[in-house]
Amino acid sequence: MELLRRWWKPIALLTLLAYPWIYRAPYYHLLGFNVLLFAMMATSWNIMGGYTGYKSLGHSAFYGLGAYLVAVAANELGWNPLVSAPFLAVIVALVAVLLGWIMLRTSGSAFVISTIAMLLIFRLVALNLREITKGAPGLSQPLPPWSPEFSRMPFYYYILFWLLIALFISWYIRRSRFGLGLVAIRDDEGKAEMVGVNTTLYKVLAFGISAYFVALGGGVWSYFTSHISPVFAFDIIVGVDMILMTMLGGLGTLWGPVLGAFILVPAGDFILFTFGSNTIYLAIIGGLMMLVIIFMPRGILPTIAEWIENRRAPRIAHEGAHSMAEMYDQSKGKTVAEDESSHERTASH
Amino acid sequence: MSELLHTDRVSRRFGGIQAVKDCNVSVQTGSITGLIGPNGSGKTTLFNLITGVYIPDEGEIFFEGKKITNLPPSKICHQGLSRTFQITRLFWEMTVLENMIVPIRQVGFRSLLGPNMFRYEIDRAMGLLERVGLTHLKDEPARKLSFGQQKLLEFAAILMADPIMVMLDEPAGGVNPTMIRFIMKLIQDLNREGVTFLVVEHNMGVVMELCDHMIVLDQGTKLAEGPPAVIQINPAVLDAYLGT
Amino acid sequence: MHLPSWNVLIQVIIIGILTGGVYALMATGLTLIFGVMRVINVAHGAFLIFSAYISYWMFTIFGLDPFLSIIVSVPVLFLIGLIFQRFVLSRVKGDPGLGVLLTFAMALTLEGVMGSLWESTGRSIRTAYTSEVLAIELSGLTLRLPWVRIGGLVAAAIALAAIYFFLKNTNLGRAIRATIQNRSAAQLMGVNVESVQALTFGLGLATVAGGGALFSLIWTFNSGSHEEWISKMLSIIVLGGMSSLPGTFLAALIMGVTESVAAVVMTSYLSPIVFYLILFLTLIFRPQGLFGVRIREG
Repeated sequence: MELLRRWWKPIALLTLLAYPWIYRAPYYHLLGFNVLLFAMMATSWNIMGGYTGYKSLGHSAFYGLGAYLVAVAANELGWNPLVSAPFLAVIVALVAVLLGWIMLRTSGSAFVISTIAMLLIFRLVALNLREITKGAPGLSQPLPPWSPEFSRMPFYYYILFWLLIALFISWYIRRSRFGLGLVAIRDDEGKAEMVGVNTTLYKVLAFGISAYFVALGGGVWSYFTSHISPVFAFDIIVGVDMILMTMLGGLGTLWGPVLGAFILVPAGDFILFTFGSNTIYLAIIGGLMMLVIIFMPRGILPTIAEWIENRRAPRIAHEGAHSMAEMYDQSKGKTVAEDESSHERTASH
Repeated sequence: MSELLHTDRVSRRFGGIQAVKDCNVSVQTGSITGLIGPNGSGKTTLFNLITGVYIPDEGEIFFEGKKITNLPPSKICHQGLSRTFQITRLFWEMTVLENMIVPIRQVGFRSLLGPNMFRYEIDRAMGLLERVGLTHLKDEPARKLSFGQQKLLEFAAILMADPIMVMLDEPAGGVNPTMIRFIMKLIQDLNREGVTFLVVEHNMGVVMELCDHMIVLDQGTKLAEGPPAVIQINPAVLDAYLGT
Repeated sequence: MHLPSWNVLIQVIIIGILTGGVYALMATGLTLIFGVMRVINVAHGAFLIFSAYISYWMFTIFGLDPFLSIIVSVPVLFLIGLIFQRFVLSRVKGDPGLGVLLTFAMALTLEGVMGSLWESTGRSIRTAYTSEVLAIELSGLTLRLPWVRIGGLVAAAIALAAIYFFLKNTNLGRAIRATIQNRSAAQLMGVNVESVQALTFGLGLATVAGGGALFSLIWTFNSGSHEEWISKMLSIIVLGGMSSLPGTFLAALIMGVTESVAAVVMTSYLSPIVFYLILFLTLIFRPQGLFGVRIREG
């Protein structure tokens, strides 16, 4: 057990590096690429949705924007997508920062709805800017120069590299003061602001960072499939997948989104193969999402962690509490609070 | 003594209710000032106006001679003005120690990207936890503390931001007499170390003993102010409390 | 972009008002649900399409007129709403964003189920009177108004009047209004908020069933259409102030007219952007809508 804990990361990495050579059929390369791609994007979504608690349903907007920027740059300027994607994703992140600046005035359900609206606007613009996007039929870009039989391997390793970067960033944020502030915002935003956390700045930065890797993923994907259209590039389901993976694996944890992607991408493929139907896939992921939200809102990893914690000797928080700290409350003096909160409901700045 | 905080004809209305109206209050440096008044007299609203939760419809607020009227709460905290809440607010999913680390006064990009707990911050946090007797709970999640412990933690945490002035909303509310004694002692000690206090409190015994100056609010405006002994016998004050 | 003639413009505005009436009925349930539960039911569009499918089935199998098919769809959706709130939605407490995600997941599930049942072909109901038109001569102007639209408005008006009467004059209606205004006060006065919530969700879906029947007469739909329609309904209730019924009604008329004018002024391809922009901008810059209070949770 101890051995496993210490060595699982190098072992996992070696396995991932060897995977394309062990499973050589093109399908396995496709599957591997998709798993890593979604692991990266879910990790990215988690920075906003998990750490900060602002659950965006519109991250596909950044995915699509990244895809189109990369495709257009490849066609018009001849830029190699694998080189340009990390740079063009910066532009998308800046767009996200700008949009975030205005959207993050909202919170809770209003924020979720505004992200949906944002996505729909992006999609409609993509459909209508025909000079650039070629409209509904979509946009093709040149195939990769390397030979087709081997074509997916470079993508696989490329995205593996960026997954590692995304994980590093996610890990680094969580252990930085910035990350602590994000978690504080998730817990109690008003209080965080009151104790000196510049919540607007924190949220906007987190939104930008979480858009970055999604945009990068979109850019790589557009080169990978070589043909993109607004309906697929700005498909809300891509965002839903990221959310579902993160929530299943463990919202706000480092490894949860990765675990979720490793479970759900193959499962999704399995469903598509078995039923051969997109609609049944929709019904199943919708149903699964409902189940996760209702029965396991914290996801697999935190649930397991809690289970292990409880199996060890359960410690009681108040054990050995100080004499003066021991006391119990009589009442929380509700009256004034009550009229204050009814003020708040009608109040606006 | 010099003036640390003052509000200049501050007003705020919510829908049809004038919660605070033309309110002038001032707090002297180094004092423990009490803010009292009947329920709904606007004490908490005034707190929220001073700390930037609400923006006043009219009037200005000055802290250390600088205008803080339209600043967001985080900036006001950075100026050195911190508060607690009537109903304790903590980061419930965080540990006690993490709760201590979040409050900050000065932040640059360097510290934003640095680790979330610097050695010196931990030392300082442990010192403050020691003072309120919570050291042994440092790794427990805040939600597992008892009500009294939560109250102490909230108090200790805002001290991490090194405030010049602390505003306490009912520090003695809902806790037993031993704990009230402890909190009062803490306030007095900190005051001796140079922290100015503005305290909203319903428990008159506590206010009378603790404060060196008192401000009475009624219907959103200042009704009277002065030393506790004078306020105690002020007929207008008695009227406001008992009259209606 | 081009400006239409007066003749066309008046016609377009009247059509817009007729459409707006139907929108009002469709969005009323969403307003009620948000008012009582503070949850934005993103599955409302999917339930709308679902009830339109029920009408479609009733029509193709039994030849039942869509106006009459509500005897089936209203009770069915009422029950679904009751069960969904009581056993699913009520389990999610705390984070309001989670409620949105949950109803969104419900919408996806429903979309998948409907897509599997009825395939993705666009469906619509063509009755004997579908293409009948009322022509009015008005001092040189000829207005041509489809009867289904007029019937839609009349039916919507009757339904809305019934809801209004119900909220004003029944105990449950009063309990619902009390809960909308102040949840904790309602609880103190002895309102059983749990069951009021379940009944409200049922009622909300029952109204959308009525809307769905009219919808099936006027528009073509498939399982994926809910995405477009939920954004329309959302922009209406957000503009109307989230939990205000008169606000919703007025916003529905405004959006109906705006949409139908936009469709002739811009390309019809681009015109939905009006809804999305209004939704986006209202949420951010005027979250209290035209009338209501700011959306605040907790």
